[in-house]
Amino acid sequence: MAHRLEKRVLLEHAEDPDLRTLDGYRRLAGGYETLERAYKEMEQDEVLQELEDSGLRGRGGAGFSMGKKASFLPRGDMAKYLCCNADESEPGAFKDRELMQRNPHQLIEGIAIAALAADAGHAFIFIRGEYDEQADILDAAVAEAYEAGYLGTNILGCHRDLELVVHRGAGAYICGEETALLDALEGKRGNPRLKPPFPAVQGLYGGPTLINNVETLSNVPHIVRRGAEWFKGFGTEQSPGTKVVSVSGGVRKPGNYEVELGIPTRELIYDLAGGPEEGHEIKAFFPGGSSSPVLKAEEGLDLPYSFEAMAEAGSMLGSGSIIVCDDRVSIPHLALRTARFYHHESCGKCVPCREGTNWTVKMLERMVRGEATPMDLDIVSSVQQNIIGHCLCVLGDSMAMPVGAMVRKFREEFEEVMANPDLVLDPHAVVQGAPETLGAST
Amino acid sequence: MSPAGREVTITIDGREVPAVEGEMLHDAARKGDVEIPYFCYEPKLGDPVGACRMCLVEIEGIPKLQTSCSTPVREGMVVHTRTEQVKEAQNSVVEFLLVNHPLDCPVCDKGGECPLQDISYGWGPGKSRVIDEKRHFEKPIELSPLVAIDRERCILCYRCVRFSQEVSEDAQLQLIERGDRTYVGTFDDRPYVAPFQGNITDICPVGALTNYTYRFRARPWDIEHAGSVCTICPSQCNVSFTVRDEKVKRVISRDNHEVDDGWLCDRGRYGFEMFDAPERVREPQLKGGAVSWEQALEAVAEGLRRAGGKVAAIAGDASNEEGFLLQRILRDALGSPHIDSRPSRGPKADVLRRLAEPNVSAKVRDIDEADAILVLGTDPLHSSPILDLRVRKAIRRNGAKLVVATERPTALDGGAEAIARYAPGQAAHFVGELASAIGGSDNVATPVAETLRDAGKVVVIWGERIAREDGAAEALLDVAAATNMSTTDGAGLLEIPDTTNARGLREAGCLPDAGPGLSDTTAGKSTEEIREALISGELTTLVLFGADPLRDFPDTPAWEEALTAADFVLTFSMHDNATTAKSDVVLPLETHAEKDGTVTHPDGRLQRVRPSASRPENVVPNILVLSELATKLGLDTGIDSQPTAFQALTNAVTLYNGIEDEQIGGRGLRWQDREGATSARTGTEQPGPGGPPEGGSPDTQRDAPISMVQPDPTPRGVASADPPSGGPSTAANGDLLLGTYRDLWAGPVTELNPPLKFLTPQQRVEISRTDAERLDLKSGDKVRVNGIEAEAHVKERVPAGVVFMAEGVSDGNANALLNGGPVQVKIEKLDEATA
Repeated sequence: MAHRLEKRVLLEHAEDPDLRTLDGYRRLAGGYETLERAYKEMEQDEVLQELEDSGLRGRGGAGFSMGKKASFLPRGDMAKYLCCNADESEPGAFKDRELMQRNPHQLIEGIAIAALAADAGHAFIFIRGEYDEQADILDAAVAEAYEAGYLGTNILGCHRDLELVVHRGAGAYICGEETALLDALEGKRGNPRLKPPFPAVQGLYGGPTLINNVETLSNVPHIVRRGAEWFKGFGTEQSPGTKVVSVSGGVRKPGNYEVELGIPTRELIYDLAGGPEEGHEIKAFFPGGSSSPVLKAEEGLDLPYSFEAMAEAGSMLGSGSIIVCDDRVSIPHLALRTARFYHHESCGKCVPCREGTNWTVKMLERMVRGEATPMDLDIVSSVQQNIIGHCLCVLGDSMAMPVGAMVRKFREEFEEVMANPDLVLDPHAVVQGAPETLGAST
Repeated sequence: MSPAGREVTITIDGREVPAVEGEMLHDAARKGDVEIPYFCYEPKLGDPVGACRMCLVEIEGIPKLQTSCSTPVREGMVVHTRTEQVKEAQNSVVEFLLVNHPLDCPVCDKGGECPLQDISYGWGPGKSRVIDEKRHFEKPIELSPLVAIDRERCILCYRCVRFSQEVSEDAQLQLIERGDRTYVGTFDDRPYVAPFQGNITDICPVGALTNYTYRFRARPWDIEHAGSVCTICPSQCNVSFTVRDEKVKRVISRDNHEVDDGWLCDRGRYGFEMFDAPERVREPQLKGGAVSWEQALEAVAEGLRRAGGKVAAIAGDASNEEGFLLQRILRDALGSPHIDSRPSRGPKADVLRRLAEPNVSAKVRDIDEADAILVLGTDPLHSSPILDLRVRKAIRRNGAKLVVATERPTALDGGAEAIARYAPGQAAHFVGELASAIGGSDNVATPVAETLRDAGKVVVIWGERIAREDGAAEALLDVAAATNMSTTDGAGLLEIPDTTNARGLREAGCLPDAGPGLSDTTAGKSTEEIREALISGELTTLVLFGADPLRDFPDTPAWEEALTAADFVLTFSMHDNATTAKSDVVLPLETHAEKDGTVTHPDGRLQRVRPSASRPENVVPNILVLSELATKLGLDTGIDSQPTAFQALTNAVTLYNGIEDEQIGGRGLRWQDREGATSARTGTEQPGPGGPPEGGSPDTQRDAPISMVQPDPTPRGVASADPPSGGPSTAANGDLLLGTYRDLWAGPVTELNPPLKFLTPQQRVEISRTDAERLDLKSGDKVRVNGIEAEAHVKERVPAGVVFMAEGVSDGNANALLNGGPVQVKIEKLDEATA
């Protein structure tokens, strides 16, 4: 049973294993009825209008209006593409995995309807290589959808075609960046491209391409079925709808919770995720995955969980993944661990990210070993500043923002570690592994 | 996107700068004299990548700094390149670049000519905050036998990798690993072997890629740069010699968009190492012994006088002035009309005049803008390498449609829309069919013709050797007419000749039936007729200037016989070779680093070869030798220097009338592009190039077997499943038709050149799968082909019934098998014991 604070739309019936099958999806969720109506009764512009009116913001991290993005695609006879970004690789984010694993047809239906809006004839799901099980589930679901005539040529006799391919990535975080995703999909080294041209104009194989996150596309059938007004009935004015939030770290009930955007963050962390373990307090949390600047408990817990509130607080909602750090967590070690991740994942194309992540790691390593000089904290801060905004994509920023915030907000803790490296908190008490199931409330 | 090309004004640092809408901001700034530092930007490599982040600038209205290399200019753009924000970004990028750079400038070859060094001084913070360990690699290691790579110095700017992937398209260089562990390398660490690899050392902005031939040879303050022209092949690329102590130490590109687009092939780049070979002719030789110049010239004058007019001359590698003087000596001092500059047969003078008409001539740059390109009877990679890159660029960047019609598979086949293979000896027939197919007939040439018909700007890159066949050049003019070349700007024919300055020598008068400027003259004997006349005794004396018939001309046995039969042979040669061994007098030639003179590019561009390095002590400027010889023979040419020789040339050659040395300058001048350029046919009454063929030549009526290979259905180059129809049927006795080609690496440029020696080609027989199966051959088997031993190479794309062998190789030169007609060869497999 869902908690009273949850509002399940995407995760409705998620516990029922039958939902994965075409029959179950049809029976439990009225599956593919919306696709049928859209293909048979709606024009491209109507679908597009509905999506734009709903105010649905991208759930992958940037939070850009999905309908607006789709409307940027030029019209014409050229081959157009739709890519579903299922390369969920941000530490702390595991919501797309859940959505694909439990309700693959919801995503497929969303893709098919979005393809109608984008006039795309080919669609791809780019799924991270580590999501092996989810890719198998998708493959099976795609096969069922082809079999049932929801994909392929002349869908439902409407003279529209859509080919959908599940493409497994090779496990690079950078391939979640939309243009690197396109390069990887084309068989090239997954490196970000220069923008402009934006993918909407010139994307996959040079054709106009709409790229959306799994959760964004999973919302599409619901919006088209029940209308933009219904959708806007949830959430806040600038952040309409529900959001599947992954909560992990120092909480008793880590998991995915679907809530209306704008819910108090404290309710999410304490009431849904169970709050910190007995005898501990929350020190800080990442509100939107490991790339979001950390918020101290006192500055963040009472904010509404919405795109705008998090931005105003100097952080971001990102993919909607909360990582909670309780009072056992050593922030300098957390900074090092964060930096190491981005150093490892930097593609190396742009100088500031390639060298900045590497240099930051080396400096932070010296700090926790007690080999840093007093100047180093300032150098670390200025290096983060020098990365931000200077690269092709935001991978470098994704390290620079949280690490910069940690140094700024927990400077004393860094100084303490530099002075007494042996007396610090347990360096391993950082983040627990991602849980396998829905939030513990289920 | 707004249409590019409109003149706009932008503001950079408070100053108004004119620009063209759509061009990259970086280019506009450079033209406006604003320097923005950069590493990765290089328009020659294709679209910008924006990787180095060095060129960040502030543009009003855009919150984040933008890379000027990738930002197109818009009207009214306001740009700042020196604000605090920009300076901080520049400082930080330099600082980041040096985080892992070893800063070993004092021992680095690039020191003093290094963009990273210059930019660090100019735009960097001036001091380092890095105290951490830098990344380490084994260094330097061989990227190839010619290029060393130091991965610690590499700043990962992508330039070399982009060159390999987007310019030479060999895709051998890759970025391996990720992040700061990234390095440039090849699959499985195999050596990077490709004909253009040296270019990566030119474009590397740090000391990561260096030439083994130049490592630790000189410092920038020890050297001088001498601009000249490479005359190792007809491409005539513009080069700059790096000269230290009057010796050439390095060759780098002298970027001329009209000629070479700023690239060089490795033959041109490393070829200079043959200048100092022990085989170099360093002094006059009489009957194999060194003699003084006086003795040598006396013996020559005596030998030529004794010929009593029964003398002929063949020019090969020579400047315009040398060719001009040579033909004057023949015609005016010795009274002989027998001079040629072609290794084999060629078109008659009237056809050459029509081919030289400016309105059917393409210039190199026309390839860039062509709608369709036909590569006919030549493989540019072997015959004029730099044009291979140019054609690739036209396809990649401009979407040009390529069709290839050759005997032998070419390196460009993969990018072709349609490919035709004709049998050796059937070029004339094929070109005739092509002309009528473009006109609408349905025949074997139709697949190729369809791409050319109504294509707009058609550029035909054709090999001189097709014109060895009667009627081929005339048919080519019919192709020109059928594609409306004479009335289409940017369309035309571009010949790739067999020799390096073929066009210049023809225009200077080294033709049997045309004098200077392709003027009418008393007809003499052509190359092959000279050979026959020497054998028959009709001629007794031969002058070879930069020509090596025993290596380069077809029918080696006949040439052996001719040289043996001749009473007196004078050879000007750069190196000792089989021909000089059979010569009575050998005089030393200058290298292209020593010579002073002009050459004419196949597209008509006069270019200046300038003396850059010192000559060996006893090597004398060749024009002075020739004018001295003329004087001894009683002809006062009035030539005593390069300027007087050039003056005499331009006076005599109507096409060059009035051209001044200054007009040629460093970039050259196409004679067709001058105001009031003289037509080669002025005063003659030839039908225009659009004139219909009258009944066709006998060759075009021959019912010839033609092998047509359909174009691949996929662009990936998967071989067509359809067997070639109507291929040259294997003779009843199992013999195969021989086709030959000149290998890029065959000749003294590799054999006498220590760094390039590893590329010296061995004779091989390229054979189709069908024939190989019939003969039970596999690749690597040793075979004997009409007496020549070679290695079999089974090639998917070789048509059945034909084999291909290389000309010009030192052992088993295929020229020995050629005799002017179709050659059937018998292939015997040698077992291990006999091999």
